[in-house]
This record gives sequence, C-alpha cells and structure tokens, in this order.
Amino acid sequence: MTTTMNHPAAAAGKSRTPIIERLNIVTAFALGAISAFVVWRLALQFLPADSEVRLFTREDKITLLSMIAWFVGFMTGIGALVAPFRWVMGKDLSHDENMFLAGKDMGIKRYFRYTTDHKVVGIQYLIITMVIFGIGGILAMLIRANLGTPEGGLIHPQAYNSIVGTHGIIMIVGTIIMVTGPIGNFIMPIMIGARDMAFPRLNALSFWLIVAAAIPLIWAQFIGGISTGWSAYNPLAGQAPLGMNGYIMFICIFALSTMVAGANITTTVVRMRAKGMTWNRTPIFIYGVVASVALALPAFPVFFLSQVMSGMDRALDTSFYNTAGGGSGWLYENLFWIMGHPEVYVILIPAVAALMEMAPVFTRRPLFSFNVAVMGIAGISGLSILVWAHHMYISGWAPLLNAPFMLTTELISIPTGMLFLVLVGTLWRGRLWMTMPTLSIFALLWNFMIGGITGIYLSDVPADAFLHGSMYVTAHFHYTLMGAGLTGALASLVYWFPKMTGRMFDKKLSWISFWMVQIGFNVTFGGMFIVGLQGQPRRVEAYAALFNRGNLITSIGAAVIMSGMLVLLYGVISSWRHGVVAPMNPWHAKTLEWTVANPIPLENFAVLPVVTSDPYGYGKEKK
Amino acid sequence: MTELKPSTKNKWWKHPDVKKTFIFWLIFTPAIGIFGTQFHVLSMPDPASEVMGGVIGLMRLFTWAAAPVAALVFAICATALTSSRHYGDNPPADADHQISNSPRANATWIVVSAMLCLFALVTGLVVLQKEGDALHEENAIHVNVTGQQWAWNYDYADGARSEVLYLPVDVPVVFHITSKDVKHSFWIVEMGIKMDANPGYTTETAVTPNKIGVFNVRCAELCGLLHAYMQNKVHVVSKADYEKWLADRSALEARS
Ligand code: HEM
Ligand SMILES: [Cu+2]
Ligand SMILES: [Cu+2]
Repeated sequence: MTTTMNHPAAAAGKSRTPIIERLNIVTAFALGAISAFVVWRLALQFLPADSEVRLFTREDKITLLSMIAWFVGFMTGIGALVAPFRWVMGKDLSHDENMFLAGKDMGIKRYFRYTTDHKVVGIQYLIITMVIFGIGGILAMLIRANLGTPEGGLIHPQAYNSIVGTHGIIMIVGTIIMVTGPIGNFIMPIMIGARDMAFPRLNALSFWLIVAAAIPLIWAQFIGGISTGWSAYNPLAGQAPLGMNGYIMFICIFALSTMVAGANITTTVVRMRAKGMTWNRTPIFIYGVVASVALALPAFPVFFLSQVMSGMDRALDTSFYNTAGGGSGWLYENLFWIMGHPEVYVILIPAVAALMEMAPVFTRRPLFSFNVAVMGIAGISGLSILVWAHHMYISGWAPLLNAPFMLTTELISIPTGMLFLVLVGTLWRGRLWMTMPTLSIFALLWNFMIGGITGIYLSDVPADAFLHGSMYVTAHFHYTLMGAGLTGALASLVYWFPKMTGRMFDKKLSWISFWMVQIGFNVTFGGMFIVGLQGQPRRVEAYAALFNRGNLITSIGAAVIMSGMLVLLYGVISSWRHGVVAPMNPWHAKTLEWTVANPIPLENFAVLPVVTSDPYGYGKEKK
Repeated sequence: MTELKPSTKNKWWKHPDVKKTFIFWLIFTPAIGIFGTQFHVLSMPDPASEVMGGVIGLMRLFTWAAAPVAALVFAICATALTSSRHYGDNPPADADHQISNSPRANATWIVVSAMLCLFALVTGLVVLQKEGDALHEENAIHVNVTGQQWAWNYDYADGARSEVLYLPVDVPVVFHITSKDVKHSFWIVEMGIKMDANPGYTTETAVTPNKIGVFNVRCAELCGLLHAYMQNKVHVVSKADYEKWLADRSALEARS
C-alpha cells in the first residue's frame, strides 16, 4: 500500500486515486512501524559493539534510531511531506487538492487524515486531550492504590517510579494542550473573524506530531519505563533503563509540535484579525492564548535541546551532564527549569483568560479593567522567564542567586494579583447566571488562591528548605495546574461545546461532575498538603506510618475526582450524540464565534465581519 | 440591589454590596488566618532547631499577611453569590451599570500587593542572611555527608565514620554534602534544613540542633529504585554522650 510513496505526482494518473487521497492514519502507522522495524533490524546487524563494557550505549543507539525511523515513517505516511515534496518538484497543490486537505465533503474520515481545517484540528485536539487525561487519570489511580497502605508493595518499585513519571509528563502535556489545542484551534480563528489559521498545514502538522510523539512514550513502557519522574533529572536519567529514550523522543517531537503551533497561532492573531478588531477590541481570551504560545516559543526549544543532550549522553558517550566527564547535572536542571517555569504559565494563562472571557457573559456586565488584565498577562509572561531557579534553591548550584530569584518569584504575585482583580471586579455587582462555567470562576478563585499563597511560601528560601521535595510541592502544583488550569479548561469545554458540536452540554451532568471534581480535588490535595508538612517526600512508594491519615484522605479524594471525571466523560459522549440542539448563540454572548451558524460552514464566514466595539458591552446605562 | 438611589452615585461605600462585602471580610479574615496557621503549624513537626522554629514562624506570618487579601477575594465572591443569582436556560437581564474600570481600585490593589510582596521579600532575606552566617560559625563541628543509592554515610573530622548521624545538642554543625552516584537530597526533617547531594560537587548547609531526641533524615530527591527507603534517624544527644560516641567510633575506625 505504501510502495508508490516515492513517485507521488508521477504515479497519480487519472484512473488511480491520487496519493494525497490515500494517505491516512492507517498508512501512517503502517509506514511508521515498517520503517522502525527495518531500521531496528539494520542497526542490530551493523552497529559495532561497544568497545568498553558499558551499560546500554549500543542498545540506546538502536532504540533511538528505531524511534527516529518511526517518527519519519509516520509523518511521511500521514502526508506531512506531500506538499514539501511538490515544492521540491517545482509545483504547488491544486485548488481541489487544497479543498481535499481541508476535508471538504468528507464526513468522519477527515478526522483520520492530515486535514487542515482548523475546526477539524480542534476536535482532534479535544479527543487526544481527553485520551491523555484518561490514561493519566488511570495512572494516578494506580499511584493512589499503591499508596493506600504505608508499605506500598502493590506495584514493583521500578514500575511504580515509571508510573509516577509517565503520569507526570503526560498530564503536563495534556494540560499544555488542553485549552490552546481544542479551543485555540477551533474557536480562536472564528473569534477573531478569520477563515482559517495562517498556516493550515502547520496546524495539521502540530496535531499529528503529538500522535507521532505518543508512540515512543508507549514504547518506553515496555523497555524499562520512565523511572525518573517527569523532570528526568540527570545523572539519574543517564543510568535509567532504555525507556528513557522514549521520554527523550517524546519530548523532542512534542516540543516540535509546540513550536509549530506557537508560530502558527501567533501569526494568525497578529495578521488575521477582522477589520476593526484593534488590540483594544481583541477579546481577552485571545491575549491569553497568544501569551501562552508566545511563552512556549522560547521555552520549548530549550526543552528540546536539553533532551537532545540527554540522549547524546546516553547513546554517544558525551558528558554534558556527567560530572566525571566535565559536565554537570546542574546544567540539566537549569535547562529543564528555564523551560519548566514558563511552561507552568503556558498552562495557566489560557485557562484563566478563558474564564475571563466567560465572566462578563455570565455576570451580564462589562469585563472589569481590560487593561489591567492585559498588563497582568504580559507581566506574568515577562517575569516568568526570570524565575526558573526557584526550583533550584537548595540544589547548591548558586546559593548567592537565591535572593534575586526569590525577588523575581515574589514579584510574580503582583501581575498574578491583577488577574484576581479582574475576575472579582467582574463579579462585583454582576447578575450571576448560574451555569457550570460560572461556578468554575469561583472554583478557580478558590483553588488559585490556595495555589498562589502556597507558591509564596515555596518561593521563600528558608521555608523552601523545609518544603522542597515534599508532597507539599506536589499539592501546590496540583492546585495551580488542576485546580486553576483544568477548572478553566473544563469550563471552556462546557462553554464552547455548543459551537464545537452543535449541541448543548447536559446541564445536570456538568453540575454533578463539577461538584464531584472540585470537592474530590480539595480533599485530595488538602490531604497532600498535610503529609507534605509532616515531612513526606515526593515520589515515594512507601512511607512512615505517621503519614497514614493524610494519605488515606488523599486516596479517598482521588476516587471522588475519578468518579466525577467519569460523569463528565459520560456527559461529553451523551451530549455530543443526543444533546439538545444548540441555538447559534446560546449564552447571548458578543464575541464573533457566536455569530456563525451551526454547523459552521467550511470557511466560517461568507462575508468577513467588521468589528466596531469591544465584545464586553453588557450592562445598562444608569439613568 | 433594588433600592439604588441616585445619591449613591459618588459615595461608592454606601452601596449595599460594599457593606455586605465588608461584613464578610470581617468574618473571613480571622477565619482564614486561624485556619491557615493552625493547618500549617499543627501539621508540621515539632522543631528541633531554631531554623525550623523560624520556618514555622514564617509560615504563620505569611498566612496572616495573606489572610486579608484572600478574605477580600472570597468576600466579593460571597457577596456576588448572595446578591443576585439566576437559574435557567436564558440569561438574566443585564446588570444595572456599565462599570468597566476603576483607576482607584486598580491602583489600590497594585500598591497593596506590591507592599505585601516587599514584606515577604524582606522577611525572607532577613532569615536567609542569618542562615548564611551559620555556615561560618567558628566553633562548629564539621560533618561530611555522602549520599549513595540508597544510604547516607557520615564522616566526622577526627576520622569517625557512621551510617547513623549523631549530633551534640546546642553545638552548631556544618554539613559538607556530596554524592557518589546520582542526585540525592539531604533533609533533616525536624531541623528544617535540606541540601542536595550532587555527584562531583560539595554543597554546604548548617544547623544547630536544640533538642535532645531522635529525628528523621529523609532523601528528598528521587534517586532511583529504593528512594523511598533512603531514610534514617539522627540522634541528638548531650555533649558528653556525643564525645563518648565519637571516641568509640574513632577507635573503631582506627582499628579497622
Ligand atoms: C503565584 C505564583 C506562584 C509562585 C510564587 C510559585 C512558586 C513555586 C515555587 C517556589 C516552586 C518550587 C518549589 C520547590 O520545588 O521547592 C514551585 C513549584 C511548582 N509550581 Fe509554582 N508557583 C506559582 C504559581 C504556579 C502556577 C500558576 C503553576 C502552574 C500552573 C505552578 C506550577 C508549579 C509546578 C509544576 C511546580 C513544581 C514542579 C516540580 O518540582 O515537579 N506554580 N512553584
Ligand atoms: Cu516555577
Ligand atoms: Cu532519594
């Protein structure tokens, strides 16, 4: 089926289906698997044996090469190379071909192809995000099951460590894409009055890169797993089993996806806003999405590089991170957190901005202090690239820098406070329309307050000397990532569900799952704060009896979260299939995405809209 | 909400929502302060050093500093929730105003958060300074700490070696910490100190135990398979007992 690959244009005679129409997820997986197998076999045959007795090096080379082959094969098989190949031949795609790529009149099949329509990509992102959270959630339940008793022992320590690492990294990836992926792709272009993204093919590319990245991560589970935690510190990662290569490949490919998506979204917003949509009239959600991807743009190349170096240390005997060879583990920590701290705001900002977008709709009054909201987002983005070493206060790397990094970290609370001001200001004297997104605004304020205040304790060097590396840190970042970030993402799902699927999200189910998730969440991580303060380290598979009670609370809470998530999943499926058919503008909102009909036509707008005011003109003039 | 009079236009504090918020704030501030401090202080172990006492004090102080701000946010939430709620599939009527900005509120908010930020910074710096000085204590004893998968080793200045840490009470100790393999983190829980053990480098931290007893050393950095079991006890004993233990240990070491 894939033998015609090398002569696409030439072979595509009238009588045969052109190559471009044959490529889909099946050819992608097939070609990926075949090339991985071939390269694996060749490498096994021809790679010379290691000269010294070394753990892994040759196997590392073989694993990495096969994974790279998988990647190249998969991307070729899905059709990412069709257009570049044409250009090399001096031709471009025809109009029909472009329409085909956009998924015109194709029905369900377009979701399994290299489809460029931003609405298709948005749905693809939504599905993959849900799959990621599903798997990550199951792993979390395994962690809690093992921690059900102080001795642990349910799961082998190596497997346990791997579950913790895999849970961590896929949840991080899930939260990175949870708003900018589905909503950023599906809704954002319509919200700014555009017909598609600036680079539709890059849009498809960014999604399929994530699918390509997933396989090395799954592969890793069968060759020793990721036993290092999501941060994969060296030199531990250098001594970890072969599965580490899966992590390295996963991050490299995912970083590519993020960079591609970032360039695409930024360009789209800068270049393609509707006539009259000045920066003052651009919805705040757009600012959030752009800030997020613009932060990712400098951060993820660093992540990419850090993993390339990690892979070289393993496979090619370099010593970037190996002290004995002249390197340093501190280098890895620096690179990791230069990515890592901006990344937490990559996750948070769009979620908060989405709730800011909804706040005026559900309080029926204007957004409070638009300018402060923009300043807050900009301030956080700027400062967040200057704080990374607060993750290294006690690493011993540069004790003299602790004070300046404490300063920058605590300064972040000022722009963060601005986000709070905007939200409470908008609630002030509003007419609350009680919906699940409305409740989420309150939940965000509650959870993010706790996450933010505990962040201040952690940013204090002496307090961090006690708290670092304990469950307290784990609880802190779950309050921010999940309590604030995911809460905003779930509200976005319910809010934009009518536009994305044409049906309303079942109200009762959204409320039930909201309360279950929020209560379960606070129980879970409240308990985790307790054991952290008592002195339980993170990432342990067994603990002293002292921590029994807190862990029990946490495990019970986790079960409640999981049940709430299942209710939500049921809500998504049942509402999508036979929910109430949504009107064009169910929330009576004023942003542009609510002016297009359901289902949305392929090019969104027949006539491009012209914008004459900001979208927050709610409220009555006082007489 | 309904008895809005034109005269309230300039006197914002006369608005009924303001009174309500103020009352909520008066209730929430102490509630958050007390709950927050109790939550933290009760969960944390009894301090076995001044440093740990300082940490607990800092947490208490920060909680009280944050309480009024958190209380204000929650008070506004409570006011909004109790003032005007509408259930149903269609939106309520629009709000009775179009307030889209308030320079005064913005400025106040930013100034207050900046001052709180400054406060947190200064208190942190003061403690940090004290702890930095502890490293240069003249009459301190020095212990070399070596982490390896998955145990700690302690070397004392006069040749004694041990796998269990013994320390004299009320004498400053400086730890010189390193690792043989991967990163570990040396954490004496009840003394509130922690410092990573890095292969190829030596890092320092210092503390003065002020309580006789048995406390916990736990590794706080994932270091592989048995990380969870990389924990041990530290015995803080009287000076005399310490001297005796040290002499025994050195003799043992000299013999072998
Ligand atoms: C209000 C502002 C915040 C401050 C002052 C703050 C401060 C800190 C500090 C000092 C640490 C290091 C703790 C340690 O390892 O000892 C930390 C860890 C962390 N924070 Fe925050 N934080 C804030 C907000 C956030 C937000 C909004 C997010 C995510 C959306 C976040 C996610 C994380 C994560 C993921 C970690 C730990 C990562 C790890 O060690 O695995 N934080 N935070
Ligand atoms: Cu950070
Ligand atoms: Cu450890």
